[in-house]
Amino acid sequence: MYLKLAWRNIWRNKRRTLITVSSILFAVVCALFIESIERGSHDLTVENMTRFHTGYLQVQDFRFQDEPSLDNAFYYDPDLFDSIEQNTEGIEFTVPRIDGFMLAAGEELTRPAMVLGIIPEREDRLNSLEGRLIEGRFFNDGENSAVVSRGLANRLNVAAGDTLVLLGQGRFGMSAAGKYFISGIVQLPLREMDNQTVYLSLSEAQWLLSAEGYITSLLITPETAGQVSVIAETLRNTFEGTEYRVLTWRDMMPELIEALEFDKAGTRMFMAILYVVIGFGIFGTILTMTLERLREFGILLSVGMKRIKLATVVFIETLLISILGVLSGFGLGLLLIVYFHINPITIGGDGAEYMQDMGFDPILPTAIAPDIFFYQGSVVFLITLVISLYPSFKILRLNILEAAKK
Amino acid sequence: MAIVQTKNLSKVYNPDTVPVHALRDVSISIEKGEFTSIVGPSGSGKTTLLNMLGGLDKPSSGSVWVNGKEITSMKESDLIDFRLYNIGFVFQHYNLIPVFTAHENVSFIMLLQNRSKKEIKERADELLEEVGLGDRKNARPVEMSGGQQQRVAVARALASEPKFILADEPTANLDSTSAMNLLDIMSRMNREQNVTFVFSTHDQRVIDRARRVITMVDGAIHKDEYQNVEETKTG
Repeated sequence: MYLKLAWRNIWRNKRRTLITVSSILFAVVCALFIESIERGSHDLTVENMTRFHTGYLQVQDFRFQDEPSLDNAFYYDPDLFDSIEQNTEGIEFTVPRIDGFMLAAGEELTRPAMVLGIIPEREDRLNSLEGRLIEGRFFNDGENSAVVSRGLANRLNVAAGDTLVLLGQGRFGMSAAGKYFISGIVQLPLREMDNQTVYLSLSEAQWLLSAEGYITSLLITPETAGQVSVIAETLRNTFEGTEYRVLTWRDMMPELIEALEFDKAGTRMFMAILYVVIGFGIFGTILTMTLERLREFGILLSVGMKRIKLATVVFIETLLISILGVLSGFGLGLLLIVYFHINPITIGGDGAEYMQDMGFDPILPTAIAPDIFFYQGSVVFLITLVISLYPSFKILRLNILEAAKK
Repeated sequence: MAIVQTKNLSKVYNPDTVPVHALRDVSISIEKGEFTSIVGPSGSGKTTLLNMLGGLDKPSSGSVWVNGKEITSMKESDLIDFRLYNIGFVFQHYNLIPVFTAHENVSFIMLLQNRSKKEIKERADELLEEVGLGDRKNARPVEMSGGQQQRVAVARALASEPKFILADEPTANLDSTSAMNLLDIMSRMNREQNVTFVFSTHDQRVIDRARRVITMVDGAIHKDEYQNVEETKTG
């Protein structure tokens, strides 16, 4: 009967209950949506950075991280690495790359460029690079052609079908110069990369850079992102005592981690303000409810209801309201999150520029992650529970006579 | 033995600033089965005395004894239990639980006493029949008239089988017919079931039906007299 009393009490003033439920719903939806957007955009950034830049894991020469020079490339023994790939649990595939900085020249203009030697099929498996072609076609392995990123192509004023000259220094100071047919233009999601990347086939790049048989990094793609640490640990054990070094994306991009943490701190601050504002909103309705019912509380205590039982009934009322608010917030939040996961918000204008400068894609996809629901639902639920202690506290200290006179 | 007794009961509000003597040395004794009205002008101390008898307020001095137990020195938690089993309340504004039906309102007190479901149902049915609301047991307070609500309140007060019932101005908000109807019910219960009633009232109709009338003036007992009452059935 106490549960019945609590349930009927919450529907006694439907408007008040709906306002309270709506406040909680709003809090949950806002909290879910904000965290989901943040998580989604961070995940996208990490995904872009790993797929196009570092990979989730890399095998390098042990000197390369401190001195990223072609001189610190390592010999790529396909048999060795294929065998490691096959014998290490969790590895989906590997992608060898060689990279070096050179000068790229079109007909009239010269710009610095990062030359990436790749095996197109493997690279495509990693990041669907071919799908990002906006002009022309991708080269075949060993073909004397280049694919240029859109930003660099614009800077050099070149297009598919034009000629690109690369000039620089190869391994151990050898001069490196080559002339390539531009077979395609590709648009990369990371602006920094889009403004400076030239793709060559791995063998062509190795020849150009006087590093035949050598690569600067072997990217390792795990079956799932959650396996990164385990694979890294296994490979570190495998390569112990050799010159190979295994790095995770976190090891390779500390600046990115810092940027993400900085972004998270801002969001946390915003969320804290949101929690306070919404907490006061909920407190307002609970306070009104409590003051309106003081007389009723006084009467119930007069006729013999124990304070703790009455406090429990009122606590159950606010608990039920909280559950209703949180669950309806989950429902609406899920719908919104799924919608914006499929149709991400696109940022335009200065906002897009700013985001690209920060290294983020100017789109805000939402992340569908159960832990966001659990965490944000718990926070809002806890806030509501803490607030709902107020009427219980009031009941425990209520002067029966004073209350019954109200 | 007296069901309820006060000994030199005094209550002073604001003793340190502007003292208001709400009760002055009140000693009364009410026996089982009495039908007593406490009357007097506003501010004479009727309600304060009733609150003391019900254990809702503490005296400045003196004591209140209910069924041989002194309640003035009881801890609040014990007092709540004591009230639940010993004292029934009927309020001027009925004060039923608005979300409960008449039957649930009556049952609720028994639920607080942890009685069995079967017993609660049977006694609630029986009490509602007794107050003439057997056909309204599923109505909520908002669906009942003031008189009907007050009859439910009487049934609720009786449900816990208390030693006595305190009724604070029970007819003040009722029309004449409803008031007389309520008085008939309470008189009958007093007569037939020997239920003890103590009222505070201004209502001459209640005073006329009381066998004992305690008149208060300025917080003290001015008169305490028994009168002959001719039972009439109205409504």
